[in-house]
Amino acid sequence: MTYELLQPVFVISMALIAIGLYGVMSKKNILKIILSIGIMDTGVNILIVAMGYIPGGTAPIENGNYPVYMDPVPQALVLTAIVIGVSVTALALAVAMGYYRKTGTLELDDEGVMKW
Amino acid sequence: MVSIPPVLLIAFPLFFAFLAPLINMVSKKAVKPYTLFVLLLNSLFAILLFLEVQSNSVVYEQLSGFYPPIGILLSVGYIGAILAVVINVLAMVVYISYFGDVENSVKFSMIYMLVTASSTGIVITGDLFNMFVFFEITAVGSYGLVASMRTKKAFEGAFKYIVLGSVGSSFILLGIATIYGYLKTLNFYDIAARINTMPETARLMAFIFLLIGIGVEAEIFPLNGWVPDAYEGSSNRVASFLSLGPSKAGIYAIIRLLFTLVPIMSGFTLALILGIFTLVIGELAALKQKDVKRMLAYSSIGQMGLILIAISMHSKFAFIAAVFLMVSHALAKSLLFLGTRNYDAGTLKNPWIAGPIFIGVLSIIGMPPFPGFWGKWYLMLNLAAEGLWSIILIVVFAAVVEGVYYARFLFKGTGSDARSITKSEVAAIFLLAIMLVLIGIFPQYLYTPAVKAAASLLGGGP
Repeated sequence: MTYELLQPVFVISMALIAIGLYGVMSKKNILKIILSIGIMDTGVNILIVAMGYIPGGTAPIENGNYPVYMDPVPQALVLTAIVIGVSVTALALAVAMGYYRKTGTLELDDEGVMKW
Repeated sequence: MVSIPPVLLIAFPLFFAFLAPLINMVSKKAVKPYTLFVLLLNSLFAILLFLEVQSNSVVYEQLSGFYPPIGILLSVGYIGAILAVVINVLAMVVYISYFGDVENSVKFSMIYMLVTASSTGIVITGDLFNMFVFFEITAVGSYGLVASMRTKKAFEGAFKYIVLGSVGSSFILLGIATIYGYLKTLNFYDIAARINTMPETARLMAFIFLLIGIGVEAEIFPLNGWVPDAYEGSSNRVASFLSLGPSKAGIYAIIRLLFTLVPIMSGFTLALILGIFTLVIGELAALKQKDVKRMLAYSSIGQMGLILIAISMHSKFAFIAAVFLMVSHALAKSLLFLGTRNYDAGTLKNPWIAGPIFIGVLSIIGMPPFPGFWGKWYLMLNLAAEGLWSIILIVVFAAVVEGVYYARFLFKGTGSDARSITKSEVAAIFLLAIMLVLIGIFPQYLYTPAVKAAASLLGGGP
């Protein structure tokens, strides 16, 4: 019954992950690739938060009036994942700046990142 | 005997890494000896921990006052202890080569310590999410190390690494979410005990997500496109460090995934197929390369494929082979990356450089009496005993290809870098070569722990 409620969330997160993957594999512009990574991260984070959903639950703060609360572990995981995602994005942008200074362009010069 | 809490191996270099900028403010010259001292002490801890694991089996440590499965658990098994020693000792030896270098950056030393700490963290943790966090620290640190040359190639390599690393980390998170969604736990042993209650398809999906994600660090097909570019763009020292630290931690995570977390037969088959792809593609691509660093990088990919094949055999001898191949790859590849900085045909006349490089090449292509030989020998014996002749053919074919391009490299040389090699680099290369020779002549000192590790893993333990 929980999972029926969550189906739209699963669909949305899977769609976001697919869009992100497509962007990473097909784009050549560095900024577009960084954006795609962000979209993919968001999809995964939504999925994990949804995993901890409990019907009728409140925020995971212990309170006698509201005995049912969400699973706090996925929320903690997602917080960590968001922080990591932000720092990786910052680093990727810094590398993009360095690349731009060396080459004068933000386009990768071969078939994107999947080239072997 | 002194008992070392495993958390020290992570906390110690982590703390001193962030203290390094203060040391730099006091005295710029002190940073390198300071870092070497920290790495030396950490290697000592790793060796003490290894000895303790050898005598009393697995060492556990529970963190933050909560009992497992809620609290984070560190668990050091036999294979984890072996790899902790390999990573820490070799990181220290490779750092020796930094002395006497004109380049003097506190950031490099800091990130170096951080990546050492987090690679060690991967091999001693007992918690899935903790492992993910250590993976991310390792990856982010490695991105920084690769980009530290600030050339066009360095930025290109670092960017590819960042993109594939982020995609990989999303896959690891998906795998963690799948497991957590069914089992509501993140502790390795809790997952291992209840993994059979998950539906078959969910188990397979979690396995594939985790394997693809971990495969980025472990240089396993399909997400290893960053390897040649990142190795080519980074300095020889960084390439050397990457091939001994993060890649070994990645392989450890695959071992943990296959044997402990999701031990399904289809998982082993899948790992075998990926291993064969990685081996063949890596070796064939290495054959085409003109640049020596790219060649060594593709050769690394091939070696990781071979290690994955050995692991996925799911048998005692093949696992021992994998341990020997891992140690051989860590020692010989870091030696070759350091040594090729100034290797061309003329250097053959200089025995101080040519000698160790020769030893490294011999170990990689599997000539006796070096660890690479023992690895390939045990693997062949096992494959022959199981009658897997098609895989033997593939492995022999890869070894022949390997022999061809390494012979070409030895006799033609490369001369990719004009700078001359420093004394401390020669010292580091020598130490690595001596270790290769010692392990090759006395394989029993690695064989005994490897047997224990194999027996423990095959029995479903750590």
